[in-house]
Amino acid sequence: MAADVGSAPAVPAWHRGRVAGWLVTVDHKRIGILYIATAGFFFALTGFLALLIRTQLAQADQTIITGNSYNEAVTMHGTGMVFLVVVPILAGLANFLVPLMIGAGDMAFPRLNALSYWLYLFAGIVFSLSFFAKGGAANTGWTAYPPLSLQSVGNGQDLWILSLHILTISSMTGAINFIVTIQNMRTRGMTWTRLPLFVWSIYVYAWLLLLVLPALSAGLTALLLERQFPGTFHFFAPGEGGSPVLYQHVFWFFGHPEVYIMILPAMGIVSEILPVFSRKPIFGYKAIAFSTIAIGFFSLLVWAHHMFTVGMSTPLNIWFMLASMVIAVPTGMKIFNWLATLWRGNLSFDTPMLFAVAFLSVFVFGGLTGIYLAAFPVDWQVHDTYFVVAHFHYVLFGGAVFAILGGLAYWWPKLFGRMLDERTMKLSFWLTFVGFNLTFFPQHMAGLLGMPRRIFTYYDTGLLQAYNMASTIGSFVMGAGMLVFLFAIVRSRNGRRAGNDPWLADTLEWYTTSPPPPHNFDSVPYVSSARPLYDLRRKLKESNAL
Amino acid sequence: MTALVPVKLLATAGAAFVVLVWASQALAGNGGFGPVPPESPNAEGISQSYWFITALILGILVLVEALLITFLIRFRRRGRARDADGAQIHGSTRLETLWTVGPVLILFAVAVFVFVKLPGIKDVPTAAAGQPNLAVQVTGRQYYWQFEYPNGVIAIDELRAPVGGVVELAVTAPDYDVIHSWWIPALGGKIDAIPGRVNHTWFKAERAGVFSGQCAELCGLNHATMLARVEAMPQAEFDTWLTERRAQQDKGTSPLGREAYAGACAKCHGLAGQGKVAANAPQLQGSSLVNDPAGIAALLREGKNQMPPVGRDWSDAEMKALTDYLKESFGSGS
Repeated sequence: MAADVGSAPAVPAWHRGRVAGWLVTVDHKRIGILYIATAGFFFALTGFLALLIRTQLAQADQTIITGNSYNEAVTMHGTGMVFLVVVPILAGLANFLVPLMIGAGDMAFPRLNALSYWLYLFAGIVFSLSFFAKGGAANTGWTAYPPLSLQSVGNGQDLWILSLHILTISSMTGAINFIVTIQNMRTRGMTWTRLPLFVWSIYVYAWLLLLVLPALSAGLTALLLERQFPGTFHFFAPGEGGSPVLYQHVFWFFGHPEVYIMILPAMGIVSEILPVFSRKPIFGYKAIAFSTIAIGFFSLLVWAHHMFTVGMSTPLNIWFMLASMVIAVPTGMKIFNWLATLWRGNLSFDTPMLFAVAFLSVFVFGGLTGIYLAAFPVDWQVHDTYFVVAHFHYVLFGGAVFAILGGLAYWWPKLFGRMLDERTMKLSFWLTFVGFNLTFFPQHMAGLLGMPRRIFTYYDTGLLQAYNMASTIGSFVMGAGMLVFLFAIVRSRNGRRAGNDPWLADTLEWYTTSPPPPHNFDSVPYVSSARPLYDLRRKLKESNAL
Repeated sequence: MTALVPVKLLATAGAAFVVLVWASQALAGNGGFGPVPPESPNAEGISQSYWFITALILGILVLVEALLITFLIRFRRRGRARDADGAQIHGSTRLETLWTVGPVLILFAVAVFVFVKLPGIKDVPTAAAGQPNLAVQVTGRQYYWQFEYPNGVIAIDELRAPVGGVVELAVTAPDYDVIHSWWIPALGGKIDAIPGRVNHTWFKAERAGVFSGQCAELCGLNHATMLARVEAMPQAEFDTWLTERRAQQDKGTSPLGREAYAGACAKCHGLAGQGKVAANAPQLQGSSLVNDPAGIAALLREGKNQMPPVGRDWSDAEMKALTDYLKESFGSGS
């Protein structure tokens, strides 16, 4: 029989080697861990660039690095954090968790899954080596606006394009894999309204990637062609009838949904953590699932709010203002539902919960400052200043990264079967939380005082310098917090054994062992609500009572 | 007991809100808690919109954070068992409706306020009697601003304007250049200087003084040093300056050469021609090239290595002003 275990092809001995086992793996859990580890490495690399930026800006008129090196640092920090850290680490968590959460044995296409990872690593290598290219790394910002990016000398910009092209393929195949897996491989009883909210968010994340990455690929291809064959192709250079603004439309059609690609799964993580540590069901499951879809949909209609200063007509400005404001409604819905989840709960403050609550407290602020940016006349004042830098770091660091750190702390026992040391983790949390606010809160003021983003120095030695100094100190506190996190991870090798379900959680991944066996589950219980493990525990309790 | 909580909470939130609004108003315009104090009607409209949004946002922020902190304290575990259930509440349609409709109304208020202010921000006021609008061409270039007045006067990095007069700016960048963004915070919002496209903005300086700003779109290695100033002076003084400057420009005695050097050259080569201020720019002091006007002109029109073609579209008069200045300042013959 085909299904007979004995007739399955034998796994060659070398595939089982300690290193080779990871190189040839098609197991979604190992691929997930590879993703997370690689993204962790790039987090350190691009985080180092951030500290370099903050060091240069600590005081007015410093010359620690040159303007050119500064522009490279800014470009690679932004590009790296978006493409090589946040999106892939979410892909890593999702790779590990989605099949477990829906009670499946693996992703729909395990080999394609491995290909996604190896393409990602390859893109990361191209990205890293581009620092050594002729003319240095790309230096035109993560947005790479032409004509500047057309004129940028050397090969850094070309390698930047190449790296993103490879990443695009990696993300596209990954996205297809997630969609097919979630559509088709849910276990018995796992209807759409019983799907864990993290899986919902990954489902929308994958659709968004699928819809907008082709736009990025097209824009990058045009940029590459025009850079390499300036006499033949004239997409963006105005001298030959091209339009620099066209690139901005294409880039932001991808770029704005990309923000939600990074934040929706983070919101999904928070939606998993809050109920477990409140001992309650999530408040308004359907409202949260629906708002995820709504945010995903509206994110496709708001791109030009990044372009209010290019001189669009007033009706267009009004459209993009109103559409952007509409997104605040489903976002607010999520925030209030999370708050209501805490209401009348039994709250325990383990590190995952601390990060989730911190997410809630700072994400609200980051979301609200977005309203200034959506109101286009106000945006004319704050656009392209440190106010914007502060805003998107509140959303992407205080939002996405806090949730990811909380998610890592939450699922670490499942990933490796060992608990992280709670005291070390709490120290890491407080350093990160305080450092984060000290870094980014003063940047709002710096921007309003007139400091544009992406400048390598400034000349005001008064208040502006004070804010910048505070920001620099904060960034190093945050860096220390991350080092402590790393320390906790290293120490967890000898940590307490976790058991299947250390948090008494609700979703299926906690039903199996920690770490799960290669085939994930020996059996999967029939799912009759969004909280199968809660149901199971209750049943056990009742049968014990009998 | 539970009924009292929301009341107490609302009272606290309300009080905190009032205090915060007061504090923010007290700090208005300084400390960076609001836009730079506006000195032009369009900046004024933006600033008012900013504070309107701030008032609403602070209200929401305080409400959410107060609820969050209250819940964290009130519903913490205390003596309860770790696995003791909280209230098994799955949701509430009434609450969902409330927090959907509430934000919609607030956003509606923001939109209405902004649309009311919009004409005052966007539309160029019609000229007052005796003070016609002044139209100035602004071009952003790597890494300086060039201003061209209706009578042909050219100035660099410093724009002079009459107090109380409306200045209409046509902002662009040459085809061979990159995108810049024009921004003087006290005089209004920013507008991009995009090659191949002319954007329009305006300001009306309400008092005499110097208002500074800088390029707000990454434009290359000296983006940070692409500063701009607007000096507002009484109308009569401005008129005199403009006429005199025209005459000087015709005679070749205007400070244009010095301004062009300070704007287009000195940011890399140094004000004293010492070189190496940025991008390993060579020293000009004592260089033989400065005695060769044709060579300099060719260099400025073509660019070289990291040096952009800063003078590609300069008029011969502007080029001569610069070459004269170079020769005079750094030439061996002087």
